[in-house]
Amino acid sequence: MPGELHLGVDVGGTNTDAVIIDRRGTLIAKAKVATVTGVRQAIGQAIGLVLAGFGAGPDQIRRVMLGTTQATNAILERRGLQRVGVIRLGYPLTTALPPLASWPADLRAAVSVGETIVAGGSDYDGAELGVLDRDAVARFAAAIAGSAQAVAITGVFSPVAADHELEAAEIIRRELGAVNICLSHEIGTLGLIERENATVLNAALTGVVTAITEALQDGLTRHGLRADSYLAQNDGTLVALEAALRFPILTIASGPANSMRGAAFLSGEEEAVVIDVGGTTADIGVLIRGFPSDSLSPVTVGGVETNFRMPDILSLRVGGGTRIGEPGSAVQLGTSIGSRLTAEALVFGGTIATLTDAAVAAGRMTLGGHAVPAGRRDVLAAALAQADALMADGIDRMRLTSALWPLVVVGGAGALVPADVGGVSRFVRPGHYDVANAIGAAIAPVSGYAERVCPSRPDKKAAAIQETCDDAFARAVQAGADPRHVQIADVDEVPLSYLLDPAVRVRVRAIGPLLDLPAPAVPAGGA
Amino acid sequence: MQLTSANLPVYAHGCAIASSGGGGATKTPLAMAVQAVDTLGPVEVVTAAELDPDGIVMPVGLIGAPMLATERIWSGDEAFVLREQVEAQRQGPVVALMCYEIGGSNGLLPVTWAARLGLPLLDADGMGRAFPEMQQQAMHLAGVPASPMVLTDGCGDVVVLWATDNYRVERLARRAMSLFGGACAAAAYPMTAARAATAVITGSVSRALNAGGSLRLRARDRIAAIARTTGGAILLDGKIVELTRETDGGFVRGSAVVAGLGRDTGRLVRLEMQNEVLLALEDGERLAMVPDIISVLGSDTGEPVPTEVMRLGERVTILAHPGPAVWTTPEGLAVAGPRAFGLPFGYSPIAGVGADAR
Repeated sequence: MPGELHLGVDVGGTNTDAVIIDRRGTLIAKAKVATVTGVRQAIGQAIGLVLAGFGAGPDQIRRVMLGTTQATNAILERRGLQRVGVIRLGYPLTTALPPLASWPADLRAAVSVGETIVAGGSDYDGAELGVLDRDAVARFAAAIAGSAQAVAITGVFSPVAADHELEAAEIIRRELGAVNICLSHEIGTLGLIERENATVLNAALTGVVTAITEALQDGLTRHGLRADSYLAQNDGTLVALEAALRFPILTIASGPANSMRGAAFLSGEEEAVVIDVGGTTADIGVLIRGFPSDSLSPVTVGGVETNFRMPDILSLRVGGGTRIGEPGSAVQLGTSIGSRLTAEALVFGGTIATLTDAAVAAGRMTLGGHAVPAGRRDVLAAALAQADALMADGIDRMRLTSALWPLVVVGGAGALVPADVGGVSRFVRPGHYDVANAIGAAIAPVSGYAERVCPSRPDKKAAAIQETCDDAFARAVQAGADPRHVQIADVDEVPLSYLLDPAVRVRVRAIGPLLDLPAPAVPAGGA
Repeated sequence: MQLTSANLPVYAHGCAIASSGGGGATKTPLAMAVQAVDTLGPVEVVTAAELDPDGIVMPVGLIGAPMLATERIWSGDEAFVLREQVEAQRQGPVVALMCYEIGGSNGLLPVTWAARLGLPLLDADGMGRAFPEMQQQAMHLAGVPASPMVLTDGCGDVVVLWATDNYRVERLARRAMSLFGGACAAAAYPMTAARAATAVITGSVSRALNAGGSLRLRARDRIAAIARTTGGAILLDGKIVELTRETDGGFVRGSAVVAGLGRDTGRLVRLEMQNEVLLALEDGERLAMVPDIISVLGSDTGEPVPTEVMRLGERVTILAHPGPAVWTTPEGLAVAGPRAFGLPFGYSPIAGVGADAR
């Protein structure tokens, strides 16, 4: 009989971490390797190491969860992206702002084989905006045949009524055969341009995520693992590997969500400020009912605005590898030396002063083996004080109310944060804080999301909210959650102003665990 | 003076500052305006004196829910429909466009349309800020009829309204807009350039450019510069600790409580909102109220925060600055003073700022 263990892997820029946890979330083994040798090797090595540390057979592992920044990097570096044909349904509306108009020129050139706006789409109440121009869709398909590896289709108000996107997809499939088709209503929320951007990026990323998936499968096969595999998403939940291949955009920047979920789990705190200190940055976010609080402002990826859910994160340039300036220089805290830390920092016998050296000198960390030169101690202390002030200010900014909040500290350089940081109601640095990211991936639940615009008249609204909840519930179950434990995590209502028949936009997220973790106490409703 | 892709972001910032938190986000209409002037050339900004006195000035904008327009984006061709209808009704040529509302998205949309029509934009507007209703226009106070008002949905359908008074225009237009799907392109208060010279709020486009002219500064200096250019006062620097919003009668109503930070620790300021921020209160004392402008700015960004996207926990600086003088006359207050918004008291100027800094 197969085991019930989870293996979580986090592929970061500096390190790749792996952890094994049991059904109750207890950590059984952990491993850390440098990512420098490449993703495929790093994943393989980390899995090998953690299995060796665990000592039992690979058949004990039931599920594997992977969190990675590879998709983000592909966009930032314009590398490995697929060529996409871009179709928008809404003509004659929307033509004042053509598709990809605000993209950086080089990214647009790397991704797009052509763009068109054809008649179709929906109104806010689901009524047809115009008759779908089937001929124009077919003509565009003929024009991009041979050059497009993927097609992105975005209809006006498609999150409310998706018929035209589905019908256009049918036409594309008929004309182009086995081309990858991405539909915006499956990817984004209201806000045409941002949803269209996310859909096009999603189409472009398919190849990248396929490669990561193959790297993971390769690592699993090499170590004799036959487990269900998942990728971590931006919102701290998981998606099955097959679904990740369809929606790679949702796996972008899962790092912050994973570390915050890991922090919540390791500390048991449900409402807290979390600071994740790595080699380069300190990322501060907020936990509400055990989940990261979402950013309301649009999230920019490689210069392109999108509107998918991302944790609200304040990123400070304070990390273990942060270089400390010489006395008298204007900038005390410089850029990070990253993975060169263990060769070039003072405590490792090098010549570069870093915040790690400052933390060792101040007795916060024990690391390296070389003493910090007495002559530099004042400078290090001053820089550390500056870092402390920056972190305290960041923590103060992120707490949502005027009351003091608990602080949970995680990340490889978490020891940098002093226990007397101030401005917090409690200071928690839980055990295994250094692998919170991988743990966050390993314990993550799966989710389902749905939204619609409905009249705010109480009778109609109640029915519409129920339908939206049902959709979200069904999608969570589809993603692998046990229907007995799926809960509606949040129901968000945004009133639309200036309408005589007031309407609200309802957004619902349902979440279900894959583990026997205590169910998060989440009330339905409220925004 | 011209609006170009170089100064449009500054101008958009100024429009958002003038909006008192309402009027819709400027991001999408800014992108449209940049696209339009990039492909069609800059938009000239003119005074009424530079125009043919008998030529028609056409005030334009969006009526409806600005958020719907982030999904149902315009084509730009609405401008041709609006002009054709106004010229047919008034039997004369339109020689310039004007923003009927400078605050928020409606400061930007007319730029796209002016570029499409190849017409100049009058350095003026009807409100000097953002207001929710069509009779809240300087032209209304000056006795200019809002009729004929033209509404179009961008798909070719048109409604032309002739009403006996400007309040009726507002009522009819709001119903037409709803039938059109929640947001319409509109033209109202068409008037000759000669009439416009005395009926509009002048200099609005220049003022927005000046108020927004400090994008390169750091947030704190930028906010101080905004306060200086607008003749305003910083009421509080703090964090949003309470936030309620609900729809009522076609408007988003709600309130926010901002708790002071730093020098302002221990102070609490409550903001009352109806699409726009109408009132700032502290310990029952009224610090600032409509028709003066209450701007909520991100303390770390200097960017105005519209009421529809305010967020619990956000760090904000509350800045109050005088609204256009036309609104603090007895006639102006009757249309757009505190009582016109259902508040049970009369107008008093911003605490600590001259009553008529403008």
